[in-house]
This record gives sequence, structure tokens and C-alpha cells, in this order.
Amino acid sequence: MRREDLTARMAKDMDPKLFDFLTTYVDSFVKWDLLRFFHENPHTMDTAENIARYAGRAVEDVQDELQNLARHGLLEERRVDQMRVYILRSDPVLRTRLQQFIEATQDREFRRKVIYHMVRR
Amino acid sequence: MHKETRVATGVPGLDAMLNGGFLPRTANLVEGAPGTGKSTLGMQYIYEGARHDEPGIILTFEEFPEQYYHDAEAFGWDFRELERQNRLKIIMSSPEVTKADLEHVGGIIQNLVSEMGAQRILVDSVTHFESLRQDPMELRKLMYGYLNALKRQDLTIVLTRESAHLFGEGLESHLDASIQFLADTYIMLRYVEIESMVQRAIVVLKMRGSAHDHAIRQYEIGAHGLNVLRPFEGQEGLLSGAPKRMKDSFIKAFVRR
Repeated sequence: MRREDLTARMAKDMDPKLFDFLTTYVDSFVKWDLLRFFHENPHTMDTAENIARYAGRAVEDVQDELQNLARHGLLEERRVDQMRVYILRSDPVLRTRLQQFIEATQDREFRRKVIYHMVRR
Repeated sequence: MHKETRVATGVPGLDAMLNGGFLPRTANLVEGAPGTGKSTLGMQYIYEGARHDEPGIILTFEEFPEQYYHDAEAFGWDFRELERQNRLKIIMSSPEVTKADLEHVGGIIQNLVSEMGAQRILVDSVTHFESLRQDPMELRKLMYGYLNALKRQDLTIVLTRESAHLFGEGLESHLDASIQFLADTYIMLRYVEIESMVQRAIVVLKMRGSAHDHAIRQYEIGAHGLNVLRPFEGQEGLLSGAPKRMKDSFIKAFVRR
């Protein structure tokens, strides 16, 4: 199946808000991990190095993904002294979307779609 | 006579030991070995405030908020609901980031304190600060600045600190002397072995600017958190972890009256 076909099918099957969230923020397993991490620990404020340690991932993998999530507006990147610190944006709409996404991933079929979306990119 | 405001801990028996509770805008250290209930005491303090319109913050280094939700639930405290009501926030961060954040006007913690009207904070635990400075004097300066920054926000602080040794006194780390000196109140939780049974002991070693109970008391961790009980009687050397029974003649003369 061509990528366009799959995307069209997913868009048809999925809640449009979830589909939008998925295509905007979730394009790698590390990002998925980070979304889950910030959902479970919504008041985290820390450096990429420490977040990588909490998430059990390599800092070089996490650094780029955090910056990317900040560019797309899910996280806020702040300069604290010489450190770059990441926090989850307090926007309630965004936080609700994140919660909906994490809840949706409890469903096996939805997880399969997310994985397919990531590997096809 | 003017009645001094106190910040109640919510731990039955402990407030009486503290002459009503902590003094406002003070730093209060709770030190003990793993499993003695330092974090539980801290959570109980935060919970007591949250349900009496004194919102609180838990600042955790390395312990995941999930662990606090879970542990609190076991005592019947719904921390998730308190977070939804903006009466509690559990911040996961690191000593270096929070230190730098607190030093700047309009930092993340300062904004959060203002926004939720926080009056209490639990810092769990200060042991992690040891990795920031090797020199004891530098560490002391760092801790002094950190505690003052929290007090500047009008927060009454509970700090936990792990002691590596399970019983009695072990080797002191370079943080020990600094933090014990800087803290306004110093509460020690200890395991003691009495007649082949491990019991828990609590003592208020220091409380700056206030009278306090000097007795070494038993405590238990029950279904609703810590509960301070009666003093140990007829024992000496409790803080060594292996007390000895006092001589009967001494007890007759000085203890049982």
C-alpha cells in the first residue's frame, strides 16, 4: 500500500484530533517514550541529559527529539543559566490531547497504527 | 500574650513534640535510614496543608511522581485529585536546575508558587546536592542560598536526608555538618533494636527559636501514615541503635515517679 493510501485510511479511521496529534508529534519511538514520560510526570523541568536518564535512553537520541517537540510547541525550552531546560506546555488543550493520545495507545489496534505510521515515514 | 503561628505537620504526636508545629518560613530537616518513613512524613506534611488550604509542592530528585501517587494512595491520600484542584504539584527535577531556577526572578518555581499560592514544600531529598560540590564550604554556601531562596517565597520547607547506616551513627558525609547546621529544625528517625525486635524511634534534636520535646519516642507507620507514640522507657543509648536497659536502681530513682 502506498504511503498516501495508508495515511488517508488512518485519517478516515481515526479521531481527527488524534490523527492531527499523531502526525504532528509522533514520528519516532523515542518521541513516543518522551510523550509518555511527560504525560506521567507533567511537572518535570530538567535538562536533556537528566530526562534521558529518567527515560532510560541515550542523551544524543533524546536531545534532538526534545528540541523537535519544543519546536512543534508541545514542550517549552527555557534557558536557565547555561542549561537548556524542557517543560511540558501548560496549555490545557494540548495537555488534553496528550492524555487522549496516551489513553488511545492502550488499544492494540491504535498502537499498531502508530507503529505503522512511524516506520513508514 | 501573642500566640505564635505554627505550621502543623499533621503527624499525630509530632506536632506536640514541636510545640504545635514548625515555625513558618523555616527549613526543617528529617533524617533517617531507608524505610524509616522520611518521605511518608514529608507527604503527610504536604497532605495536611493541601486539605487545609495551604497548597504545597513536592520537589523530587530522581523519584518518579508516579511513586508518590502510589504511596500516598496506600495511606488514603488522593494526590492526583489534589493536583487537579491545584492544591499540590509534584515537580521532578534536579538540584542543579532548581538551584539555577530559584536564583532568577520569574523562574518556573517562583511562578508556580505564586500561581497556586503554595505555602509548603517538600524537598526529597537533599542527599542529591552532594554531587554538586565536593568542597564542604562550597556545599554549605550552596545549601544556604538554596534554602534562603525557598524561604524568600514564604515557603515552610521539609527536607529529607538519607543516612546510609541502618542503626546508630555511621561516617558523616560533607553534607551532614552543613545541613544540620543550616536547618532550623532537625528531626532524626532511627531504627533501634530492643530485645531482638526492631523498633522505630523519633527525636527532635534541634528547633531554632522554639521549645520542643527532648524525649526519644516510638513511632509506627500505620494505615494513615506516621503516628508518634510514647517515649521509650528504661533504655539508654537508643541513638546508638542498640540500647541497654538502665539499672533498676537508676530507674527507681529518676525515671518511674
